[in-house]
Amino acid sequence: MKRALSRTGLAAGLIVACVVQLIPFYITLTTALKPRTDLSSQWLFPTGGVYWQNFQTAIEDGGILRAIGNSAIVTLASTILICLLGALAAYPLARRETTGNRIVLAGIIGLIMIPPLSILVPVYTLMVQLDWINTYWGATALMVAAQLPLSVFLYASFMRSLPLSIEEAATVDGAGMLQILFRVVFPMLKPVTATVIILTSVSVWNEYALSVFFLRDPSVRTTAPAIATFFASQGSDPNAAAAAALLTVIPVLAAYLVLQRYFIKGMVAGSEK
Amino acid sequence: MTVADGRHTRRRTRGGPSTRSPRRTARRETGAPFLRRRVNLLYLPAVALFAVFTLYPLVSGVLISFTKWDGYSPDRTFVGLANYAHLFTDPLVGTALVNTFIYGFGSTILQQVIGLALALALDRAVRKRRTGGRNLARAIVYLPVLVSPVVMGTMYYLLFSYSYGGLNDTVTGLGGERVAWLSTSGSAITIIVIVNSLQFVGISMVIYLAGLQSIPIMYYEAARIDGATGWRQFTGITVPLLQPAFATSIVLNLIGGLKLFDVIRVMTGGGPGYSTDSMSTLISKFYFDNQNAGYASAVGVALFVIIAVFTLALNAYFNRRRLEIA
Amino acid sequence: MTLLAAAGTATLGLVLAGCSGGGGGDGGTDGGTAKLEMQTGLGAADPTLTVLKDITKTCTPADTTIDLVPMTNTYEADMKTRMASGDLPDIWSTHGWSLLRYSQFLEPLNTQPWAENFNKALAPAMENKDGQFFALPINTDVSGILYNKATLHKAGVDPSTLTTWDAFTAALSRLKAAGVTPLSSSSKDSWMAGNVADFMASGAFSDADLEQFTQGTFVESGYKTMLDEVQTWAKAGDFNPDFSSITMDEIGRGLGSGKVGFVFVQNSLANTALQQSPDAKLGFMPIPAFTGSPYFVGGEGTAYGAWNKGKHKKQALEYLDCLAKPENISKMAKALGSIPGLTDATTDMGPLQDSYESVVKPGTYPLHPYFDRVYLPNGMWDTMVTTTGAVISGQSQPSAATAQMKQQFASLYTK
Repeated sequence: MKRALSRTGLAAGLIVACVVQLIPFYITLTTALKPRTDLSSQWLFPTGGVYWQNFQTAIEDGGILRAIGNSAIVTLASTILICLLGALAAYPLARRETTGNRIVLAGIIGLIMIPPLSILVPVYTLMVQLDWINTYWGATALMVAAQLPLSVFLYASFMRSLPLSIEEAATVDGAGMLQILFRVVFPMLKPVTATVIILTSVSVWNEYALSVFFLRDPSVRTTAPAIATFFASQGSDPNAAAAAALLTVIPVLAAYLVLQRYFIKGMVAGSEK
Repeated sequence: MTVADGRHTRRRTRGGPSTRSPRRTARRETGAPFLRRRVNLLYLPAVALFAVFTLYPLVSGVLISFTKWDGYSPDRTFVGLANYAHLFTDPLVGTALVNTFIYGFGSTILQQVIGLALALALDRAVRKRRTGGRNLARAIVYLPVLVSPVVMGTMYYLLFSYSYGGLNDTVTGLGGERVAWLSTSGSAITIIVIVNSLQFVGISMVIYLAGLQSIPIMYYEAARIDGATGWRQFTGITVPLLQPAFATSIVLNLIGGLKLFDVIRVMTGGGPGYSTDSMSTLISKFYFDNQNAGYASAVGVALFVIIAVFTLALNAYFNRRRLEIA
Repeated sequence: MTLLAAAGTATLGLVLAGCSGGGGGDGGTDGGTAKLEMQTGLGAADPTLTVLKDITKTCTPADTTIDLVPMTNTYEADMKTRMASGDLPDIWSTHGWSLLRYSQFLEPLNTQPWAENFNKALAPAMENKDGQFFALPINTDVSGILYNKATLHKAGVDPSTLTTWDAFTAALSRLKAAGVTPLSSSSKDSWMAGNVADFMASGAFSDADLEQFTQGTFVESGYKTMLDEVQTWAKAGDFNPDFSSITMDEIGRGLGSGKVGFVFVQNSLANTALQQSPDAKLGFMPIPAFTGSPYFVGGEGTAYGAWNKGKHKKQALEYLDCLAKPENISKMAKALGSIPGLTDATTDMGPLQDSYESVVKPGTYPLHPYFDRVYLPNGMWDTMVTTTGAVISGQSQPSAATAQMKQQFASLYTK
């Protein structure tokens, strides 16, 4: 009896959590399916049939599909670099613990804290000099610089938990530094790499504070700034924005469902099996 | 890079995290290739990138903080430490600092509690081999993580809106009066903390779930034979073995909470007055609305120092804790 | 590393799938075509943007493409960043700041062929002392207090009788009694809170007082009188309870659907209201004065200037000349629901046309410039916004707010 109760309690708790998490998506959906002239409550679906025009507005005026493509390009390029540069940088910082390296690691972790807007103007000026405004390269470089500290932090803490013996054995077999790195160490990093990908790629995909300044041109604009064009200080359109938001969630959701199985394994970063 | 002062080797202890025992040896540049100085070349690409895109702008930002500048015109006046002096007596900065900590720690605590509770429930479900519903629940709780905070804040604003929000529609439907949820700082701050926590609770949940699933079931079986109850099992086995997961989750959530920006901008814009501003939103107001870029940069430098000190301290603490539990 | 490999392949696939490489930097010239960037200052869903797109099709000079960029809610911050970096668009919307903020970056346009039709009502806001102006005025902003006719009628309020603040205050009580939110404003979309003080301040001072402002003295008495009036409304509960968090879009919705009586706002809000309540009947009335007779405020509305150091300045000016044609200005002004900025265009204020016919066209009421643009030093707008907001939300007393304004005035005023 007690056991049955606790099982029901668990199930109820999970169901409540799911409902709470779905509420914002539900009201976004009802908003996206209504014309602007429908002033009924957000809880209600449109009475006069579904209004698809918002999605059309999002695609045609907001260039949302193009923005999703741009986001995909920037996110994939950034994620690859974040993982590669992060793993490379973390290795010496985790394995060769000199005072200098400790300072470098602490410094890199400190960089996680920089509020992006406090360096906006200098970064913008730099980007203008490089002629990287409105380019995928420029956006990628910024995103990598912003997310790399976290990647280094995660890789370094994971590498410290790896046994040295395997690397030492490879040394005895006469392998050089790079061979050890690529043949021995990297294959062991799969779980933490999944973590890094999950955490950083979502941040890049959804980045707004900087993107809105550096990607203005509709042909290279990513999703968050594209949605923001429906929130102009004059003439906003929440219904089209809601439709645009739903459209931008679909690709990430699909990616999440595909990569889901790597998730659980990956999130054990830093803890032992 | 100076000469090495010692190195650590690791022994794995069964089941627990690895430990580090410093072994002092005078070392020449021989031995394992991954311990030679050359290995430091590997972090050059990352450091070069930081130098260009983070450190150089950061230094420029610090330089701006010693000037009086409107943020766009060519002329800047050097004012020395005046901006920093003002910062210590500015009530707006004080309020924003307190709010920043409330957002940071409030969200972190809430996310750990809810995240761990959900992870335990899901873990129980999987040990009972009911995975279908569990995967769905996990995906749904995680869903908001995939949405841009700007968009999430907007969705929640629509919900909490005074005149047209779903929540007030429910309140009035039940015969109550409309509530101005976001018009008093106390309730607005609470709501922002809740919104931020709900959006990112999926991350904590997944981290804890991974941690729980790496705990061998035989530990629990052994404890049951010794007569340990559920709570004893939780405090004796689960909590200690989740230490690494705690560390990762808390550090990530704290960073997110302390840097909170978009949600505040969308939900309250820092209002009423400046009472719900965080340091990040305040910096942006000083810079762009107030046309006081020098002062905004000084506040930015202060924020950076405060959070960096905090995170490094926290990180060091967790590293030490890791040693103790071995 | 299979994950990474998969990701890499996917990237390649995407790039090959026809998403061409990143758009070139600003002012790129590809294949002999000049590429111009135009910051429209209009949201992606703004009907005016559609009109501008159509006009642009006919106005684009040969061998040129013009990118019409929609605005986001960070437009001002974006433009400030770009001024700081010396990287400006070829053409941009000056949102009321062509003279005070942008003129050093803009090409003077007073020698263009259409300059003779420049509406002289805009001179105080847009012309410098040498008679130069720096943007093509699409419309002349004439703003007063916007209202919903049906809502006022139902509450028994006749807007034409509201010529004093006392009458206006009495009307607010009647609206409140009728279950309507008498006044709506926002400190989140903070320019709306600033409007309240900015609209009212223009009528709170005598000519002698205004002279003092230009000489560098902040006249406290008039400013405090104005804020006292605002506080009276706030204390009576005449403002919307969600003043601190409401959005402009929701205020428009309230005005259109009859839940809100008055809004101190530019007429563009009428479009927001009508998009949600197409049958609403809206009007606008002159602002009562503390000294003198009722008036409108206004000046520069939507206006476009060209970057004086732009690579494609020639094409940009050519485009603006075409945009200045009377038929184009008429179309744009109609879409904006306001009076054209050039005198040879025709006025069609759409839903506000009858208000225009009855209160603007006869010329009974003078047009005052926005108070902060003429009488306050650059950089004070934000202080005005926050102090007014603090009085409305009850966090500050008029005397304290006035003192803060005075202090800021002293620190920013330069001869």
